[in-house]
Amino acid sequence: MNRTFSLLSPHGQAVLIAALALLIFTAFPFAWMISTAFKESREIFVTPPTLWPRDFTTENLARLFEETRFLTYFRNSLVVSLSTVATTLLFSTPAAYSLTRFRFYGREKVAALILFTYMFAPIMIIIPFYVMVRYLGLTNTHAGLVMAYTAFCLPFNLWMLRTFFQSIPVEIEEAAMMDGASRLQAVIRVILPLALPGVVATGIFTFILAWNDYIFARVLLSADELKTLPVGIADLYNASVVDWGMIMAAGLLVIAPVAGVFVFIQKYLVAGWGAGGVKG
Amino acid sequence: MSALDNHETLTGAVPRMAPARLRLPEAVTGILLILPAIALLLALTCYPVLYGVWISFFNKHSFFPQQTFVGLDNYLFLLRDPQFWSAVWLGCVYSVSAIVLQIVLGVGAAVLLNEIFPGRNILRAVVIFPYVVPTVIAVILWKWLLNSQFGLVNYLIEQAGLVDQPISFMGKDWIMASLILVSVWQFFPFVVIGVLARLQTVPGELYEAAHVDGANAFQRFIHVTLPQLKSVLFVIVLLRSIWMFTKFDTPWLMIQGGGAETYIRTLPVYTYMRTFAYYEAGLGSAMAVVMFLALAVATACYFRIWQREENL
Repeated sequence: MNRTFSLLSPHGQAVLIAALALLIFTAFPFAWMISTAFKESREIFVTPPTLWPRDFTTENLARLFEETRFLTYFRNSLVVSLSTVATTLLFSTPAAYSLTRFRFYGREKVAALILFTYMFAPIMIIIPFYVMVRYLGLTNTHAGLVMAYTAFCLPFNLWMLRTFFQSIPVEIEEAAMMDGASRLQAVIRVILPLALPGVVATGIFTFILAWNDYIFARVLLSADELKTLPVGIADLYNASVVDWGMIMAAGLLVIAPVAGVFVFIQKYLVAGWGAGGVKG
Repeated sequence: MSALDNHETLTGAVPRMAPARLRLPEAVTGILLILPAIALLLALTCYPVLYGVWISFFNKHSFFPQQTFVGLDNYLFLLRDPQFWSAVWLGCVYSVSAIVLQIVLGVGAAVLLNEIFPGRNILRAVVIFPYVVPTVIAVILWKWLLNSQFGLVNYLIEQAGLVDQPISFMGKDWIMASLILVSVWQFFPFVVIGVLARLQTVPGELYEAAHVDGANAFQRFIHVTLPQLKSVLFVIVLLRSIWMFTKFDTPWLMIQGGGAETYIRTLPVYTYMRTFAYYEAGLGSAMAVVMFLALAVATACYFRIWQREENL
């Protein structure tokens, strides 16, 4: 290995060293989290620290399930995130289709409006939003939270889907309609299957945004049994003595679903970025 | 032009064989399809923003419905509030340093990931990952690494002989630096994705030509790469500035569980505190409006400068 390395040009060596540094900077914190999650309580605090658990244990995970409401938080997060994806796509798919396939007065203005709302950060709308949700009697309900996420995700969702629909040639649909299909049939049988990867990718971005959100869930929910993972874990962390092993185990389980879908969305990230990408 | 229009009407008017039924004009169908989404946008984002402006003229409790009209009093209070100005200052320190470091690290990483080396595709995926992790996890993860008693970072710098005693990274002297570090780690992947996408479209001949002309790697970066990246960096700087200036969860979560609070109380954190700890929704809204106006003015100036640059 050393031999091969020294055979490289100075440029090649510099590239490899920089790549290694970048890898450590981004990936090592995760490796450390995984390692801590599987260490025994005593081993977590030893000096010098052990890079990998000497006595591999799942007691941190067991404590997480037995002593906290982790599973409830997990279920809440899942319910809220999936409902957000369904609601957002229900509104944005027809809208994005319309933006790319029909001509009507104000179409460009609509696109500008979408970009404009895309710039609103949560902190700028959270106060009036909270007052509004309270007025509707939806505080402390998952419905109120789904409403907030839908509002927050809709602009980038529309923008991203619009790009995917634009990439499907109108001629395909016209050909189907020439063959006697109605527009609805053409859309269902021809366009949607073609747009499906884009719709799925957009859905996953929405899922991640809802799954990761802290501020809306913090403000709109107070009942412990309704909390989503980010808020639940922040509260676990704020408990008097921090149980690092358990917190790291929780972290591991929270990023697991994200890591799972990440493999799939990775190739869409660039497309998604071009289309406005994810907010944050 | 007219040929194109004819073509569209021809295909738009669907075959004669189609059974007779009520047909909506194209434009109406289009508007009907987009209307629900527009209604939702107006109701759930535009309306709250306007309502927020309205609330900012009232002395309003966050939970109870009572409110009294106070005109511009909330804004006048802010002008005289030293905590507000401190929050503005800390917010600027935080966002400007985090943005600069993100851009530098992000561009560097993108240039690196555009080179050819073994494991490049895996590294491309790994680098993006911090961006999709919940902020709570990112913050807790770094708080563990930077822990003053048992943290790995303190252990390593002590072993390396850089310090005599552990650094209190969440203490008043270091918490801003720690916050910036966590934010850069979390958000530089956004810059990488954007820049890398652009780099992949830069024609290789440009580099070959520069190489033939005897330009070294650094000169090639300055004279070939950077000009190509100009427009994508314009968008990145704009978006990142808006999002860093209004970033709430990262600083807020840094404070939780014992952080030197007043040293990273940025404008969004102060807004949140005023609203949900002191229950002054009117004052909180006034700060949100100030943030919005400041960003709008900054964005307008930014576009103006950009256009002038383009015209030169």
